[in-house]
This record gives sequence, structure tokens and C-alpha cells, in this order.
Amino acid sequence: MKALPAKDVEHTLQNSRGARVDEDVPAKFAVGDRVLTRNFNPVGHTRLPRYARGRHGVIARDHGVFIFPDTHALGEGMKPQHLYSVHFTGQELWGPDASRCNGVCMDLWDDYLDPA
Amino acid sequence: MNGAHDLGGMHGLGPIDPETDEPVFHEEWERRCFAITLATGFLGQWNIDMSRYARERMHPGEYLRTSYYEHWLHGLQTLLVEKGMLTEDEIAARMAELAGEQDS
Repeated sequence: MKALPAKDVEHTLQNSRGARVDEDVPAKFAVGDRVLTRNFNPVGHTRLPRYARGRHGVIARDHGVFIFPDTHALGEGMKPQHLYSVHFTGQELWGPDASRCNGVCMDLWDDYLDPA
Repeated sequence: MNGAHDLGGMHGLGPIDPETDEPVFHEEWERRCFAITLATGFLGQWNIDMSRYARERMHPGEYLRTSYYEHWLHGLQTLLVEKGMLTEDEIAARMAELAGEQDS
């Protein structure tokens, strides 16, 4: 097991690679596409919150290719794929009583989404 | 997982009340806990998603009663034990030792 020596800490922290993957993976969706989030309840890690499962949204932005946290958290590989900002209206998430003015943008991965 | 960390839509927790000029750490142990989490992370035994998942697996009741850095400490302990770097007995022994120091 190799420890990080004190002299390398600053350089290492400043050059952290983050979760972006430099790999050419085709995107399943384009900006403006309507999507439906999957309804699942995994016992493992996921970044799709309960209140946004089985909901309709619109792709607002394509962030590029990122590590997929759900498999990465279980040691099952990085499974690189596109990460999008997906827009949901408040009414889609919380029902007809929610304000028409409210909306939420969530960063969601290809594997959470189906075409709608 | 459907843990206590996934709070969206939960009622009764009161308003979010951001502190003015909030310090990065409120207590010295928080700074230490954060540093040890990063330092042990660089040993390469787990990745950031595994450490998030370790925090999420905290018992929901305990999770909601404890602070942000208590979640970090709990997650760190879980990973150290799961990866065989520390045992529960070693942690308990050190806790007893520290409690003894405080009493004397």
C-alpha cells in the first residue's frame, strides 16, 4: 500500500482528475430530447434521487463523458457514459399543486434515462 | 440506495438556514476527520463513489441525528474495516485508551 508523501499533497490535490473520462462514448440523447427516468430501487449507490424516478424531463445540456457512479461505487468498473443536465418541471416532480414557476435541473447519466 | 441521505421531498426538517460567514470546519476534529479521509483515500483502497456509498449506508435514524462530519467519520470507519486496514476491536481499544486519557 503506497501512501501519499506530504511533499506531494498540494500538487496531487490541485491536479485531481475528477470524474470526467477522456473517452469517445456515443451519447444516447441530444439537447432538447424528452426523456423518462427509470424507476429502480437499488441497494447499491445511485445518484438518481427517489423523487425523480419514473419522471419526464428534457435534456438541457450534455456535460460530456463521466464515470458512472453506480457501478464505480461497487467496484464494478467505471462504465464511462454521457452525463446530462436534465430539466424537470416542479409539477412533474411534485404534482399539480406545485408552482408553475419551479423547476429542477439534475445531473443524470445515460443509464438512468429512456427516450420519452 | 433509498437511504436517509436522499432527503428530497421529506417534510418536517425545518427551513434551510445558511450561517453567515460559515467556517469550513466548526471543530478541530472535523478538520482532522476530513484530512484523514483524504489521506487514506490516496492509499488507493477505494474510490470517491465507494466513500459516498459508505456514508449512505449509515443507519437512517443515526444519519438524521448526526452532523455532516460525523457522517464522514462513520464512512471512513466503515471503509477502513471493510478493507481490512483496521478492526472494530482496534477502534474500540483506541477509543477506550483516549477516554482513559480524558478521565485522568
